[in-house]
Amino acid sequence: MFDQPFGRRTLLRGAGVLGAASVGLWSAGCGDDDADALTFFFQANPEEADARLRIIHAFQSTHPDIRVRTVLSGPDPMQQVSTFCAGGKCPDVLMAWELTYAGLAERGVLTDLNTMLARDPGFAAQLKADSIRDLSDTFAFGGGQYALPEQWSGNFLFYNKALFDQAGLPRPPDRWDKLWSFTEFLTTAAALTKRDGSGKATQWGFVDTWVPYYSAGLFGMNNGTPWCRPRMNPTHLNFDDDAFIEGVQFYADLAGAHRVAPKAADQQSISTMDLFTSGKAAMALGGHWRYQTFSRAETLDFDVTVLPAGPKSDRASSNIGTTGLAIAASSPRKQQAWEFVKFATGPVGQALIGASGLFVPVLTSGTKSAGFASAHNRIRNLAVLTDGPAHSGYLPVTPVWQKIDALMDRDIGPVLRGRRPATSLKTGLSRAVDQVLGSP
Amino acid sequence: MISIDDGGMPTKRRARAGRAFVAPNLAAIAVFMLFPLGFSLYMSFQKWDLFTPAKFVGLANFRHLFTDDPLFATALRNTAVYTIGTLVPAVLISLVVAALLNRKLKGISVFRAVVFVPLAVSSVVTAVMWQFVFNTDNGLLNTMLGWVGIGPVPWLLDPGWAMVSLCMISVWKSVPFATVVLLAAMQGVPHTLYEAARIDGASATRQFISITVPLIRGALSFVVVITIINAFQAFDQVYVLTGGHGGPETGTYVLGIMLFQHAFTFLDFGYASALAWVMFAILFGLTLLQLRLTRRSALEL
Repeated sequence: MFDQPFGRRTLLRGAGVLGAASVGLWSAGCGDDDADALTFFFQANPEEADARLRIIHAFQSTHPDIRVRTVLSGPDPMQQVSTFCAGGKCPDVLMAWELTYAGLAERGVLTDLNTMLARDPGFAAQLKADSIRDLSDTFAFGGGQYALPEQWSGNFLFYNKALFDQAGLPRPPDRWDKLWSFTEFLTTAAALTKRDGSGKATQWGFVDTWVPYYSAGLFGMNNGTPWCRPRMNPTHLNFDDDAFIEGVQFYADLAGAHRVAPKAADQQSISTMDLFTSGKAAMALGGHWRYQTFSRAETLDFDVTVLPAGPKSDRASSNIGTTGLAIAASSPRKQQAWEFVKFATGPVGQALIGASGLFVPVLTSGTKSAGFASAHNRIRNLAVLTDGPAHSGYLPVTPVWQKIDALMDRDIGPVLRGRRPATSLKTGLSRAVDQVLGSP
Repeated sequence: MISIDDGGMPTKRRARAGRAFVAPNLAAIAVFMLFPLGFSLYMSFQKWDLFTPAKFVGLANFRHLFTDDPLFATALRNTAVYTIGTLVPAVLISLVVAALLNRKLKGISVFRAVVFVPLAVSSVVTAVMWQFVFNTDNGLLNTMLGWVGIGPVPWLLDPGWAMVSLCMISVWKSVPFATVVLLAAMQGVPHTLYEAARIDGASATRQFISITVPLIRGALSFVVVITIINAFQAFDQVYVLTGGHGGPETGTYVLGIMLFQHAFTFLDFGYASALAWVMFAILFGLTLLQLRLTRRSALEL
């Protein structure tokens, strides 16, 4: 068979043919059949992804000429979208988060939607009349409008009605204008905490399903001091304010001094979500994104209530958690992208969002719609959700939020573990944050 | 029959063919190693966030790193603790394991294979597996400690213990490679030396200290250098085990995490490049020192 010498030329020729073939196959394999489609980048769990697909299908039925290709984010959307955009493959429509979009806006990644709104005065007027100003202002940075809000994701409390009844406790407030104090909240949480003979908790009064160092700030804010003034591009955050610190300390003491909430060690084998779902926790702090999980637990009889207000505050507030839709500045399909953003953030898309039961709409027409009410028929205190956006305090909007986030994680951690008092934030965290804000 | 007759090929043609064969590899090295190295050095003198044009800042990144960034000192200290906490136990355990495996026993090959398993497991899988072991409430380790009356240890929740946990995983991961190298070296030690020592009445421990260790000094030095380099570059295990912030608090905030955070979270690629070159300089210095010490002791031998 090999009676002829296997020459170098033959070898090189063969290698060349193989190489060319593999390059050809590779480029064919990576070929993009949807090159003309509008790309939509978002982060979602499987259920939320389904809801988004419903909106996309509804959009495509009214806009058959615009094809939409979805790009689902991994666990760190900012990192992913930065890489995409820096590499010249920025998706046309991007989900934007209230705390992090400013970094992209400042770097020129996002389109100023004021230009689109100016060309579409009818939609702009409709949006203005129907929207909640604090939410749309969240994405107004440096004189531009970099996203339109699409859902409210502020925090409130879920509570287990059966556990309240068993303990003989009155139901907590059903609206944001009815206050309950830190003291009332603590007394209630203590009455709902049960322990076995060895002192180990078998039922917790309160659990947190959000990010603890953000929740601590939420309690600080609910003691009468906002996170910062002004909201946009602040040069100082109120981590050195006595009332804010008092609120943070109150939150830390729930797990520490008062033992009405689980410590981090208690949450390693069972998540706070599971504690609430399985009836081992009476109240859970979280946003609407938890609603579907709780409502799937058939034996769980729950409702929602407002956050408690501290002694220095005369009102209870949620936080302006919101995500919006933005358009990439480099998008070659800006007009198509604008049509999609208009649809999803306008009355039709918002009604669909409300009826999905997965998100709280940001337009008044969406929150008051029959679809939203019927999607939440397991709860009675619907006003906690529908009035939530209007009763929300803001978090800072700054391009350097990622650095602030890292500092908060570092410095609030010891306070939550009970290693340091919250007053330590005055000198440690506050100075470090001010330094970052002063010299980003 | 295959016959490749290149005996008559002129030297020039042979040289050209040689260059042609080496060219793809050289190109790969140039594109994937030399260019990134040069580019990162260039970037270390710039301020660059991927989107806006890079701006020359001279030595500002290095100056800020050394004089104005308290987290650099924290990361350096944590990396040093992690390196020592990995190096010392890993080398000692590897020596013992290699010595145990360097015996002619029935079924020793099975043990040799088992010992090398951690080397085959990916770092991420390792970290996920150890997360279960380190669970405070009902993890394997605390359950076992409970059997002997020791209360639960907050392995991954307390900054101090988190570093201990990290070192334990690193040792577990480093031992197989070190053992392979040391075992190979041990198998090269002439048996006549041991026989002579035995005739002179030397115990097994004495033989190990006076014959084995000095004669595997080169391999030992290699293991030390490689372990230091690996420990200094730690990233994936830390990222999976305790998160991208190097938590809890700054308990596991090592240089690898700091570099990643500045590059991909803060989008400060200039600063991250400066940090990468500082890490390189430290490793280079440590390696030179180690080689010098080894050479000196080899001469003394």
